[in-house]
Amino acid sequence: MRFLLLPSAVLATLLAAATGPAWPQGDAKRGEYLAKAGGCLGCHTEDRKDAVPYSGGRVLKKPFGTFYGPNITPHPQAGIGRWSEADFIRAMREGRRPDGANYFPVFPYTSFTKITDGDLRDLWAYLRSLPPSARANRDHELPFYLRWRFLVTVWKWLFFTPGPFAPDPGASAIVNRGAYLVQALGHCGECHTPRNALGGFKRGRFLAGGKTPEGKEVTNLTPTRLKKWNDRDLADFLTTGTRPDGDVPSEAMGEVIRNTTSQLTAQDLAALIAYLRSLPPLPE
Amino acid sequence: MIKRFGMSLAAVAAGAVLAHLAHAQQKPEILVKQRQSALTLIGKYWGPLNGMAQGKIPYNPEIVARNARFLDALSQMPWDGFDPSTRDEKSRALPAIYENPAKFKEAQDRLRGAIAKLVAATDEGAFKAAAGEVGKACGGCHDSFRAK
Repeated sequence: MRFLLLPSAVLATLLAAATGPAWPQGDAKRGEYLAKAGGCLGCHTEDRKDAVPYSGGRVLKKPFGTFYGPNITPHPQAGIGRWSEADFIRAMREGRRPDGANYFPVFPYTSFTKITDGDLRDLWAYLRSLPPSARANRDHELPFYLRWRFLVTVWKWLFFTPGPFAPDPGASAIVNRGAYLVQALGHCGECHTPRNALGGFKRGRFLAGGKTPEGKEVTNLTPTRLKKWNDRDLADFLTTGTRPDGDVPSEAMGEVIRNTTSQLTAQDLAALIAYLRSLPPLPE
Repeated sequence: MIKRFGMSLAAVAAGAVLAHLAHAQQKPEILVKQRQSALTLIGKYWGPLNGMAQGKIPYNPEIVARNARFLDALSQMPWDGFDPSTRDEKSRALPAIYENPAKFKEAQDRLRGAIAKLVAATDEGAFKAAAGEVGKACGGCHDSFRAK
């Protein structure tokens, strides 16, 4: 009897120790920081004064159609109040709705799939803590042949690799942290990596800039261009939104600076810069 | 009465012709250089204000007042340099400027309006609010009308 009891008690303690810190609910406070680092606000908030944060409505004009960022507050009808944590994790990791249908890749799950389980749980805890907004979502306006979400299955097969970020064992902890911020949360590549005609990333051109499908020119973030900037100027630009000569970037980046990069801790900003410096220089 | 009207009409017409001539005589590359100079100086006097608005530099109402006045003057200067004759000059100006002049004018007016608020701001709160608008007006115009 004793022989049997002891191991199970030990086992229970061990299990509790192993899963204890990871399984309980995510930390909403950490999640708030991660939501800023993830730039969720931009697409999920209307572009007007006094808009309710995260209640959706941003108009995203893309070459494939006009998309409207949805309400992600915990309102049961208008928002995602009926979702489970597992629904949220599946949306971010696999690009799937709770009913199993695909999201259009305008939702950057190509990047968000790399967010770790722990961070996803913290993000979820934060979203649950928001005041519910009843602002109703609007349907995307797409040509009829793109409305079939199953077509996205083919797109995903071609261009989407699900799975969390794997640190590079050959790189320092700081560079890996920066890589995680840039590739996973910050989803910088969604604008700064050029795309092919089907909207997939061009191979071997990660963060190399160029023209977006909307015809906007985007900066090359590899050392080819950034070597002209010192760390201080780069950090100032990413916190204040002006270059050393007072020049102002396009408002698309201005918003990213206000919502995301200026909100990062000094360590995270330094990590982000260290990672960009470690990239292979790619020609313009 | 009619005579006076006719004379003033002639004066207006003469003025318009002169203004047009003054413009037409300017070489496109000079117009580009001049408008870029005005925009460069806007950057010079905007940079410190943005630093103050972001809390990077201590708020200094005297510098704010001076720079806001400079910006008020400077922000009137670049626009007549975007003459259609400059279209083929090497610059970051996008064709949208000439394809959609009404929208380009709207972007200028937005900046002018925001700078008027900056000039009128007498306390730090009003200054920060106005500075936010100025920054967005600059970036909004760069979004649509400037490459990179």
